[in-house]
Amino acid sequence: MRLFLAAWLCHLAAASLTVSIPPSTLLPNPHSLPANTHATLTTKDRVLTASLTRSSTLVFSDVPSTGPSSYLLDIRSGEWVFAPYRVDVAADGTVLGVWETFRGNPWDNRGAEKYVVDVVGQTKTDVVIEAKVVGRKGFYEERAKFSPLSLVKNPMILLAIVALGITLGMPKLMENMDPEMRAEFEQHSRSSPITGATNSAMAGGGFDLAGWMAGTSPGPMADADAARGGATGRDTSGASRRRG
Amino acid sequence: MRLQAALFFAACVSPAAAIYTDEVNHIDFHHALLGAPSPDSTFFLKPSTSSNASLLYTVSDKSILGAVNPRDGTLVWRHDLSRSASGPTGGAGILRGLDGNNAVVGAAGDYISSWGAQDGKLVWENKIAEGSVADLELLELEDASATASGRDTLALVSNGAGVVRRLDGDTGKTKWEYKDDGGDTPFQVSSSPTEVFYISLQSAMLKGYKIKVTSLDSLTGRQTRQHTLSSDADVTGPESVLFVGANTASPLIVWADKSQKSLKVNVIGSKQVNTVSIDNTSGQEIQQITVHAPHKLNALSHFLVLYRTNAGSWAEVYHVDLKSATVTKAYQLPFVSGESVVATSSIDANVYFTRITDSEAIVVSSASHGILGRWNLESPSSERASGAVAEVVAKGSSIAVRSAILRQSGDWELIRNGQIEWNRPEALVDAVAAAFVDSDAQEDLAHELEIEGHDSLHGAYIHRVKRHVRDLQHLPDWLKELPKRILGSILGDEVTNLDSFGVAKPVIVATRKGRVYALDTGKQGAVIWSVQAVETSSWNVKAILIELGEATIYPSDGSSITLDVSTGAIKSRSAPKDINIQSIATVENQVLAIQADGTPASSFDDSTGFLVTTSADGRVLGWAKSDNKVPVWEFVPPSGQKVIQAVARPAHDPVASIGKVLGNRSVLYKYLNSNLALVTAVDPKGHTAGFYLLDGVSGKVLHESIQIGVDANQPIASTISENWFAYSFYADSNDESAAKGYQLVVSELYESDIPNDRGPLGSAGNYSSIHGDSLPLPHVVSQSFVIAEPISHMAVTQTRQGITTRQLLCTLPSSNSIVGIPRPVLDPRRPVGRDPTSAEAEEGLFRYAPFLDFDGRWYLSHSRDVADIKTVLSQPTLLESTSLIFAFGGDVFGTRATPSQAFDVLGKSFSKLQLVLTVVALAVGVSFLAPMARKKQVNMLWKA
Repeated sequence: MRLFLAAWLCHLAAASLTVSIPPSTLLPNPHSLPANTHATLTTKDRVLTASLTRSSTLVFSDVPSTGPSSYLLDIRSGEWVFAPYRVDVAADGTVLGVWETFRGNPWDNRGAEKYVVDVVGQTKTDVVIEAKVVGRKGFYEERAKFSPLSLVKNPMILLAIVALGITLGMPKLMENMDPEMRAEFEQHSRSSPITGATNSAMAGGGFDLAGWMAGTSPGPMADADAARGGATGRDTSGASRRRG
Repeated sequence: MRLQAALFFAACVSPAAAIYTDEVNHIDFHHALLGAPSPDSTFFLKPSTSSNASLLYTVSDKSILGAVNPRDGTLVWRHDLSRSASGPTGGAGILRGLDGNNAVVGAAGDYISSWGAQDGKLVWENKIAEGSVADLELLELEDASATASGRDTLALVSNGAGVVRRLDGDTGKTKWEYKDDGGDTPFQVSSSPTEVFYISLQSAMLKGYKIKVTSLDSLTGRQTRQHTLSSDADVTGPESVLFVGANTASPLIVWADKSQKSLKVNVIGSKQVNTVSIDNTSGQEIQQITVHAPHKLNALSHFLVLYRTNAGSWAEVYHVDLKSATVTKAYQLPFVSGESVVATSSIDANVYFTRITDSEAIVVSSASHGILGRWNLESPSSERASGAVAEVVAKGSSIAVRSAILRQSGDWELIRNGQIEWNRPEALVDAVAAAFVDSDAQEDLAHELEIEGHDSLHGAYIHRVKRHVRDLQHLPDWLKELPKRILGSILGDEVTNLDSFGVAKPVIVATRKGRVYALDTGKQGAVIWSVQAVETSSWNVKAILIELGEATIYPSDGSSITLDVSTGAIKSRSAPKDINIQSIATVENQVLAIQADGTPASSFDDSTGFLVTTSADGRVLGWAKSDNKVPVWEFVPPSGQKVIQAVARPAHDPVASIGKVLGNRSVLYKYLNSNLALVTAVDPKGHTAGFYLLDGVSGKVLHESIQIGVDANQPIASTISENWFAYSFYADSNDESAAKGYQLVVSELYESDIPNDRGPLGSAGNYSSIHGDSLPLPHVVSQSFVIAEPISHMAVTQTRQGITTRQLLCTLPSSNSIVGIPRPVLDPRRPVGRDPTSAEAEEGLFRYAPFLDFDGRWYLSHSRDVADIKTVLSQPTLLESTSLIFAFGGDVFGTRATPSQAFDVLGKSFSKLQLVLTVVALAVGVSFLAPMARKKQVNMLWKA
């Protein structure tokens, strides 16, 4: 029994690799990681898995020793993305070194060194490295929220608001205007060909295009001119002169 | 940085089809399953001393350990113990937990682990060098040295002889070990404050077993005393012992005599065996005796024995006097016909028994027979219950109970005071085959239209008028529904109810345990019906074929079962044949069984059809009409390689465009051959994998690619669609300058590498695989990517017309998710080592990056933990934008994929309120401005 116990203890004493997840700016509380967080050590024909412990570590308690091998260390945890590592293990199960690695790059292209054994052949030690959170996956699309501000930004809405403002604000403006200026404005607006056309359309029930083309009825300009003449009572000759 | 920039660009280019948070649980559903809970290892437990809330813990027959929230039945956490155990775990595991201890200890096979009860994180794990765990108990020590954090575990290891180990509660290290060299069968362990009892079965001289109780010092593990109970006349094996208590609350060993006339009860530690006679007043033979006793240390040592006969059951409650080691009967619960299950729960020292029968639930105290609470069950289940666990809460004088009932099928439900709170369809775990059902209404209409099409003009007209008159009978219902529909469409989530567009399809699912389910994808995967089609534990279903409202299931033994898809009624069965079916194929309405050696069980009579099969010895065979003995062609991979998989283009694989328009308006013609098959062959020793593209008619190899350094133990997945195929594997080269990791290779097939050119085909309208000039070889463009995770299964989204961009659906087993990679990202014509030219950018191509990072928005399963998916099905809907996805194997998951976004659906982003408000605002504006305008016109007339 004692022999068995000794073997058991020896088994426990085999070199272990511990990956701890420290708090970082991206992940301030590593204890919030989901329970299915796990790490894998992968090499040819072998995959080792470790589950997340209560102290936010991932422990590979016995890395098998069947020959020197180079493992790819991945940590997978829902939406969190961790940097991959390269773990070299000697034939006796000693962890020789841990480096950052880059996916899609040559395997010998090693990044920052996380751990390297002091002297080869030294007694087995437990290796502790820190995992690095590199990002967080966003699974969801943000739905554009309805906001009145976005409505105001719409050019069509802006046009409508301006038009409404003119329609409602103009009479008010006219009333507040100086009487002399109003008279001048009215005169000016009557002289405008559009107003004249509208007026004639209201009066005559429509502009007779066919008649105008044939020359039998006066054009809209004539109407406008007539209105101007009528309103001021002077400069009639000038107007007729210009027409001629 | 450049890589990230490229990825960002990728995200911009590809139409993001991510799910919105408000669509979760609306367009998708997920049954997170454990498997059938083991009645002995299911319990309510308060995971933290600070809170009164308890969780429901269980370990299932699939050795999945999990915690379920009793309020709504959602899974809090779970772990698959069988993954960590080496070798098969052989049925259910063992799970133990204690109130106030913030860890639960589970074992399956040779693996013991302790998990944080609240968060499901690992406390310690242990692997037993040899043997497996036979029993577990948590030590409840009342001495001061016991800390609240971790209670020590007693593990009984069976490796021929029994080994009792005491494991430290915080580290899992062995504190002491006791080895039994007597050659007895290790049975159970039990504990008291000072002693540990090891109970084994010693085979008697003639026959039967004697129960041997060995007392061990709980601090040192030394044997203090040992005695045997003369049970050899009654006990014929471990199953004859009805009950062994875990601790001082129930320090009992209970067994019955062979004639079931009396019950033998031993108080552990004493040599005395109490005999209690069984008062069988029902006059029927007792079928089953179960003993229910409290687990809590400070509970009164009272226990209940439930006697089951064919017609009903009754129960008797006994009290144990620990000092004199005697057992006395306290009272009896009367005989009730029908099913009943009993659960034990305790509040402080008081013990309560909850008895749930077909019609009611009652709670009694162990001290007296008065019924403390009685509730009528609102909707009794037709299924037999196999066990129950309950939690009783006392509020003043009234009592409330919630009990989880485990059904025979493996499903379980929580009943709170007679009302069903939730139901977990655990029997859905291990689904082996599934098929979508096309709705009947459409089929009927198509059938009617077909009749009209073939009739004379006059006859067709009459038929049509009759049909419309017949349809009028639905008018009142339709009118009645109309206001509801209008109101629903204004207030509801979706602008239009999409159910009539084929997004709400039933799915028929067959499980390994012989059950058949119909799930409604339109109602979050709710179970429409379920039947036990076959009584078996390993139903190897090969295919489910659905035709005209009937689903026919073909298992591997050559039999078949036909069910009605709307009710689940079994319509017909056919007897098994003496063949071993590897797969099922359909050739022109003819169902063909393919045997394990690759030969069809019968010949087929379709001259245009052909068949490609794989044989058990790793070859690919091609078959033609009316010959099922000699294959037309045979494909044998290079020596050492063995065919492991063959995939063909999906049956529904429409091609919207026969060419690919390049940036300069020239066209690359796609190599579209509907007879393509992609064969995967691996050489595990040589670490190579070959991917062969075959023409199914002639067996000609059109393209091949050999990958080196492939690990055949890791998942290798492949798929083919339209004019492209993809495969994934793990490659690990000894060459240090090569990349190491999972790879995804995508290849596209074109008729020629020159745009606007069809290569050898020229202007030919037809080509043949076998006659005349040989089949032209495709021009293959490939690109490979390094990915971060293995892919265990691949599928392609299918839409009605194939206009929508496709997504490559990949099952990621290591992160328990399903990802849909947009095809534009996987374009093998992406420029390598340079930025795209303007013409290429116009085409949507962007710079190649060797590492393909899965964007979070590609995850169809988003943050869900979709475990153990074996197969993903995709089904087109009537909406071109939408493809229905259904994944099964372990969990069951369904969603709607919209690879090019839901361009033909008004989604939730369409604000109905805004539309209504705009119309109202316009109406108000018009009504306000109209009198103003009129007044102005009149004024103007006057002024003029």
